Amino acid sequence: MVSFKPTDEEAAFVKMAKDFALHEIRPAARESEENKKVDHAIIKKANELGFTLLELPESWGGLELPLISQVQITEALAMGDLGVVQGLGGAGDAASFIRMDPDNSLLADYKISLASGTETAAAFLNCEEDGKHKVTIEASGGEYLLNGRSAPVKMAEKAECLLISGVDSAGEDVLLWIGHIQQHSGLRKKTGGDYRLGLLSSHFASYEFENVKLNQASVFAMGEAARSLKDNAISRIIVLEAAKEVGLMNAALSYTAEYTSQRKAFGQEIAKFQGVSFNVAQMAIAASAARNLVWHAAMKIDQQEADAIGFSMGTLNNAHEAVRFVTDSAVQLLGGHGYVQEHPVEKWMRDAQAQVNVFMSESELLARSGDYLLSGTKGGIQDDILRTVTASKPS
Amino acid sequence: MISYELSPHQSQVKAIVHWFAENEIRPIAMISDKQKRVPDEWLNKVNSMGITLSTSSFGDDEGRNAAKKEAKGERQGNRLGVIASEEMGWGDPAIALTLPGPGLGGPPVQHSGTPEQKKRFLSIFSRDEEPRWGAYALTEPDAGSDVSGLQTTAVKTDGGYILNGQKIFITNGGRASWVVVFATVDRSIGRAGHRAFVVEKGTPGFSCSRLADKMGLRASETAELVFEDCFVPVENLLGGEEYYENLSSGPSGFRVAMKTFDSTRPIIAAMATGIARGAYEYTLDIINKEFPKHGRSYQTACAILAKLNQNITASRLLTWEAAWKADMGLPNAKEAAMCKAYSGKIALEATSKCLELLGPAGMEDTIVEKMYRDAKIFDIFEGTNQIQQLIIARHLYEPHGVRV
Repeated sequence: MVSFKPTDEEAAFVKMAKDFALHEIRPAARESEENKKVDHAIIKKANELGFTLLELPESWGGLELPLISQVQITEALAMGDLGVVQGLGGAGDAASFIRMDPDNSLLADYKISLASGTETAAAFLNCEEDGKHKVTIEASGGEYLLNGRSAPVKMAEKAECLLISGVDSAGEDVLLWIGHIQQHSGLRKKTGGDYRLGLLSSHFASYEFENVKLNQASVFAMGEAARSLKDNAISRIIVLEAAKEVGLMNAALSYTAEYTSQRKAFGQEIAKFQGVSFNVAQMAIAASAARNLVWHAAMKIDQQEADAIGFSMGTLNNAHEAVRFVTDSAVQLLGGHGYVQEHPVEKWMRDAQAQVNVFMSESELLARSGDYLLSGTKGGIQDDILRTVTASKPS
Repeated sequence: MISYELSPHQSQVKAIVHWFAENEIRPIAMISDKQKRVPDEWLNKVNSMGITLSTSSFGDDEGRNAAKKEAKGERQGNRLGVIASEEMGWGDPAIALTLPGPGLGGPPVQHSGTPEQKKRFLSIFSRDEEPRWGAYALTEPDAGSDVSGLQTTAVKTDGGYILNGQKIFITNGGRASWVVVFATVDRSIGRAGHRAFVVEKGTPGFSCSRLADKMGLRASETAELVFEDCFVPVENLLGGEEYYENLSSGPSGFRVAMKTFDSTRPIIAAMATGIARGAYEYTLDIINKEFPKHGRSYQTACAILAKLNQNITASRLLTWEAAWKADMGLPNAKEAAMCKAYSGKIALEATSKCLELLGPAGMEDTIVEKMYRDAKIFDIFEGTNQIQQLIIARHLYEPHGVRV
């Protein structure tokens, strides 16, 4: 039966997330941005309340919630501040891979470290995102040789562990896990970069690989198994990122509605001008549509529907476009006040653009989603040929 | 629990209506558009099959069949309504709107009629007799979006009211056995003066002056109605005089008109979603068959189709959410406006983008060009996009104490 009613458990968790978002995250947003890190007390409390454990499997001490529950909670959290939420750390995006393969022996150390309560962060470098990361993975004799430099990666500055997704020089899918970055002399982080756009408390840094040699002990998965893991885990990450964007949209919408209902010009509240109120209505429609799509995509993944992966890509495309529109509208409707930092909307607009920049480009998402539609659930026969071609080492 | 899975009953309704849309409606869609009418013999046939457009069963009270089956379960009439309407829109919206039955006139009778009126007006639709229609007449030449400004007058007289005025854009207005007509008993008091009457065909002074030619939706009859000293008995005042006397401080015919929209807008939104889906599926099929799976045109098609798939899904979900709220007995005016505003826009966008993909070939005898022409009205009737935005804005600002 079609229903839009969350379970009582979900409603209670969402309420807790919203309280935390509005009373703890939101007030700390500016300071987090200035310090380029999230206050330790907030991270500690987020851990205690379980917000960093939603995706992790129970065997890892996580909550192992269905995605449909996670998107509601994540959306509520991001209503506080997206920059803070992205800076909470923990297993982060890697959690979705762990969820898919919790007993992978490669992760034993990391599991112990997380269980012991140390806030060991993991970063995720997705080398397959078209041309974003200039990192090559050369396969030779059962080993992999990594070279090049990545673009900024979320949590990289803080993370001790790194999960790398890529296609090697032979066109094979591969997932590599580096448990201790400092043990690889050729692997360096470029920290302290001059970031100004947004998500400034999310610890962005680049990785530099210089003949970093990884043997079989670093292989999380390869070949068909890696492909399947990536497809499933990345679609989960995609939907969770889209949920965060919905939270940001809701924040911008409610802030703008409140502001425009009080601000007066030409003798009346500006809400009474349809140039303003219609724009707010459009923000509400965009946010509602995006939320519905995110929930639907989450449900598709939970139920392992055949089109879940392609659909989730389309959903993130929609969320990207919507979050840009909604946060831009918020700044626009606050006018000059929206542009200065006394109000949070200018930060939200910057955060939104940074978010869109980092988590797969809009057009790429759309093209790939369409590829799934036209080429079936396997996705991209053509893409496979393309990948074989592009993965071959330039001469 | 959040769920997008249709119940067995909902799936059955969807399957049956889709079968009907595919096998009975689609084959006559293009010719009906060309001839600007749905063939009579077809209407006689479907009427004898018992197929009607009965939006009234999606209102406050359950439809008879639905009530029986769902007596112990939760109400789902609104959800069934939007699920069925999407399939109808997929088939052909003009034909769907021409199906016999009370049509958009059903909900006001259902919501506001007395038991006697409901029986008298809603029981005339029978598969054993000739096809019949109901209609809903609100819009006037000088009162469209601003319903409160309607000019048709109703003057109290012995045993009834005398109506004078003109109505335009009335779906099935010419062929309807009765029309719910909104008129004012006192222009000076605005909305409080509005009343809804059921005017029966053949009533002296009531006539259809013209059928409009349109961009699309051509198979659907769009009538202009004229009321010249038209006497309507008091028994045909919707809800009866007591209804208005008891509610002298607030509700009025205006409220009747507005309440109707909360249940009809999701129905209309669902049809628009169906149009968009029809164009999308047609185009996806052509591209799959005829486009090479590589190169720039393939990439373009991928991006366009993926976007449409998202928009259509979002449109359906917004519509389902509005219908679900109504089934739960929750206020849904904002959601009804949202789904209507969104679906009207994306239906036109979807059909337009599909035409883009089909290229010039899409202009000649394809259902997609008809769908494009049909889609535009969904951004206008049952409240224009701008009116939907106004309603949404009012609900957003209500908690802040500002009336926009």
